[in-house]
Amino acid sequence: MVTEGTVLNIQRMSTEDGPGIRTTVFFKGCTLACTWCHNPESIDARPRVVWNGERCIGCHDALAVCPTGALADTGDGIRVDPDRCERCGTCVEECPSGALEVLGRAWTVHALAAEVAKDRAWFERSGGGVTASGGEPAVQAPFVAAFLRACRDQGLHTVLDTCGEAASDRVRDLVEAADMVLYDLKIADDMQHRLHTGRGNAVVLDNLRAVRDLLGPGGRELWLRTPLIPDVTATADNLRALGGFVARELPDRVARWELCAFNNLCEHKYTRLGQDWSFAGRPLLTRDQLDRLAEVVRLSGVDPDIVHVTGAARLEEEDR
Amino acid sequence: MTRRDTQRSAIKQPHGMSDRIQWLRDHFFQGVERAWNNEFTCWTTGTPWDVVYDEITYYIVPETYAFLQPFRSSTLQAARPVPLPARFWHWTLPERRAWMIREVMVEHVPQEVLPGDLVAGARFNILASRCWTKPEARARDRRILGRKGARAAVKAFHEHGYGNAGATSGHLIPDHARALKLGWRGIHDDVEARYAELSSRERSGPRGGQLRAMMTAATMARELAARYAELCDELAAAEADEARRDELRQMARNLRRVPWEPAETFWEAVQALWINHMLIMADENYPGPGVSFGRLDQLLTPFWTLSLHNGMEREFGKEILRCFWIHANHAYDAMIRVGGNQGITAGFGQLLSLSGLGPDGRDMTNDLTMAILEVIDELSPILEPKPNVRLHRDSPDELLDRVVDMIGSSQGAPFLLNFDERSMAGMLRQAHEAGVGDRIHAGNVHDYASVGCLENTMVGNDRSGTVDCNLNLLKAVELALAGGRDLVPAVDPVTGKVARITQDGPATGDATQFRTWDHFWAAYAEQTRYIVERCVDLYELSESVRAEFSPTPYLSCLVRGCAEQGLDITGGGAELNFVTIEGVTFATTVDSLLAIKHLVFDERRCTMAELLAALRDNWEGHEALQARALHKAPKFGRDDDKADAMAEAVMRSWTTETWRYRTRSTGRRFRPGMLSWNYWVGDGYVMAASADGRPQGQFLSNAICPSNGADTRGPTANTNSVGKALGGRSDDGAGDWQDYVNLLPNGASHTITFNPSLLRDAEHRDKLKAFLRGYAANGGTALQVNVVDSELLREAQRHPADHRHLLVRVTGYNAYFASIGRELQDELIARECHERW
Repeated sequence: MVTEGTVLNIQRMSTEDGPGIRTTVFFKGCTLACTWCHNPESIDARPRVVWNGERCIGCHDALAVCPTGALADTGDGIRVDPDRCERCGTCVEECPSGALEVLGRAWTVHALAAEVAKDRAWFERSGGGVTASGGEPAVQAPFVAAFLRACRDQGLHTVLDTCGEAASDRVRDLVEAADMVLYDLKIADDMQHRLHTGRGNAVVLDNLRAVRDLLGPGGRELWLRTPLIPDVTATADNLRALGGFVARELPDRVARWELCAFNNLCEHKYTRLGQDWSFAGRPLLTRDQLDRLAEVVRLSGVDPDIVHVTGAARLEEEDR
Repeated sequence: MTRRDTQRSAIKQPHGMSDRIQWLRDHFFQGVERAWNNEFTCWTTGTPWDVVYDEITYYIVPETYAFLQPFRSSTLQAARPVPLPARFWHWTLPERRAWMIREVMVEHVPQEVLPGDLVAGARFNILASRCWTKPEARARDRRILGRKGARAAVKAFHEHGYGNAGATSGHLIPDHARALKLGWRGIHDDVEARYAELSSRERSGPRGGQLRAMMTAATMARELAARYAELCDELAAAEADEARRDELRQMARNLRRVPWEPAETFWEAVQALWINHMLIMADENYPGPGVSFGRLDQLLTPFWTLSLHNGMEREFGKEILRCFWIHANHAYDAMIRVGGNQGITAGFGQLLSLSGLGPDGRDMTNDLTMAILEVIDELSPILEPKPNVRLHRDSPDELLDRVVDMIGSSQGAPFLLNFDERSMAGMLRQAHEAGVGDRIHAGNVHDYASVGCLENTMVGNDRSGTVDCNLNLLKAVELALAGGRDLVPAVDPVTGKVARITQDGPATGDATQFRTWDHFWAAYAEQTRYIVERCVDLYELSESVRAEFSPTPYLSCLVRGCAEQGLDITGGGAELNFVTIEGVTFATTVDSLLAIKHLVFDERRCTMAELLAALRDNWEGHEALQARALHKAPKFGRDDDKADAMAEAVMRSWTTETWRYRTRSTGRRFRPGMLSWNYWVGDGYVMAASADGRPQGQFLSNAICPSNGADTRGPTANTNSVGKALGGRSDDGAGDWQDYVNLLPNGASHTITFNPSLLRDAEHRDKLKAFLRGYAANGGTALQVNVVDSELLREAQRHPADHRHLLVRVTGYNAYFASIGRELQDELIARECHERW
């Protein structure tokens, strides 16, 4: 029995992660490393100390307390050496402004279940509940499954949001604890999938078939989600191929398929983590592009009524 | 997905208006360009000691302190003499004043009907002689002026950072239902009958004078309506258009019946309501603020239903309402040449309540509720009269759909939302605390309504002085830190004179010697007791003067209890006779206490002496400690049970103190609330730096809202914190109303801003509806929903001329964004951007 899990963030009044008003728990650690990832800080399963320049008041109080000397002022801000940092949190305690922050906090099942229950009033009135997301929840599968069961025991509706890249028994344990599954479907071509996520898609597709069978016909709902990434997933060929798979393998089994518009709000996260982002500076898709991509999916053989586009389109001249 | 996010935040445009309404609305917005306006006119008895400007009612507006004397002089200079009858100076003061208001309104102020208007009653903004004899004027001045007068006391109270207090006009809901049902004839006859029952001794005393004054006042509406009836006939005779001629003839017939006789048709009821309402503003010489209508949809529904049944077109009924709406906006003309934007700054708050619970838990939404919402939607953006929609757990979907649609199509709700369960809990707590269970009880509490913005009262028999006392709770923290003395010297903003620091509050000891948090809390509680008592004492100065020198006999006719006791409403004549202390700076106070506990006692990050030094230095040179206070200390508004327990402790402490007092002159019981108008902005420059990390010069917290930027966990966490601060829900079911507890009977202003993306499609609008239902379960008494994105606000800041009609909601009142100060604009923009990762 795993007693503690590592949580990156708890997002309350989430309106984009399943039905109703939800509290989404982002668990740390991911099995994929998508080039467009919007939550790069979630990929590493371990907590990580980061420095946020815009909050820093330049007092340097925290530099002296680090027992391993992992912090240094580079002249261009504070650098946290990830190899020397032992994640003890001493510097984070000492930093007065919150500029040094530890991403990833340990929670017990009991405390986490109590925390998410605070919005029960809204779950009940909106048909909402709790969503376990990530990262990839399967990385911490035993903890997440125990958490979802604890939510369910309190009468809260539970959703699993998974990328599908995990050992099948882990996925099965999570699906069994969830009232509904959000499943990511990104790239149809195995090589392209490997190129852009670090892994091929065979496991993802196998697990999707397994999830289909676990949920059963007419039972718990399955929603698919596809991020619309310019030139990667958001091509007519890819979407047509994904649609073919869904039509063939999951007929009448998908309640909803969300096409999630690319957004660039995460750019500053890469800066903060000291990483490059290959989509830096890329504009949002236009409304026309989104409409055309949605049309491709609707004509791919799936029930067109299940297809939804979410997220923001590029602000165009006439909108300004 | 048919509408785009960006269009959601476009500025709302009025729509669906007839030529008539288009003209009336455009005409109103012409402002000073109009040939006609409703600017204050001034009227005097002609005596050299006369006063036409009653400064007391402006004691709660610190911006006016420097101008009280110039206003007094210039309004008298501008005043035209009113010829007096021979016996005038032999009458009692209420009789003189009742005669003066009637004389001015009927004989001196011109009557006009605007083209196409369906409701008569144009000018009502007057400043009329207070009608004092020379000895009365002298006696009053002795209590107002000079070093020990009320004016100096309120100025000192403000400059030392306590807040403000003064006996203020408006802010109540008259008994319109009775006036429509009986007509003024019935009200007059009732007063006359009571007068007949007086002994000759009583008749020659104050009760006799008061009832005679009320009889005079009770004829004012009849006389004025007769003049307007003549005018309508004259206009009809000269009117070429047949349809308009018929309207004018019908208006004349209406005016010959109402408001003197009981109203029978919808048109008559609206006509009577308007005249009855506007004459209150004339009687008090106070244009609009807080003169509220109560549950307008319930009040007018019998007339609406009957007239529809008898053949009135629904659209024509709405046209009558639209005319009524335009009339209410002319209240702003009072000071049309003062300041920018034609005298329109913030909403005056001629408030009306819609929907809500009825007897036996029934929802009272009706066709007129929806018709009024349609009218508001069509005319918006427009400021008056201000709607407040009452919601509860079982509000019908039809109403919520409409509410959410209207939120979506404007820059935020064109109305306030009130929440019945928590509100009724507060009113029942008041009944219990004050021993007025015969007037407020489980059987009638659903008939409560809001005044001004969101201040809950009963209807027709209640004056609760809802804006009269505004107390900065934070002052008690400052005094506890400094042993009962100001932390930094007060400064007179006009002369720049710096006050000497003296022992004002109780000597609770040297805070640097406190060993434990309990020690500090005890000092804070004692200083809270002191600031509440000082506020009560300050209020007494103007309350007692108003009671003696400023009767409002017309208004007294419309409030139950006054005729019965032969006592003016300003003397405490209302059946429910309260004054509200509005606690200001709540979250700043709670966060400061949390920071002191965290920094000095729990984490021992600094000593009390270091903290005091930092506060005296306005945090300059103490940036690390300030950052720790801002970012590491717990805050109210995050649904953190420990922080919220502090919030509830603060709430229980100051409200318990408040219930202990009554006014000495008028016997009004004090009750607590949390409106904070705009004081949290201005007083941020007055009050010393606070332990929550706020420097002097930065805003304080607004009403019951968390401090700016502190609500990092989103709207549901923010809501839960607010609900807990009010007392939450009782575990054993024994709350004030069912299991709901509410420590603030007046209610509390709460604003939450949503991103427009929450309104982008039907599915998300359903989520907002669910949010509102959840708010009814967990939240406070009143909510304003703002839906503005920061980009639009920045654009409006850069190009104010292009965004003159952009409305924003701030702490219970509406304001045109272009008309508010740069600091407040920046604050509203900052509020949009509080997401972290």
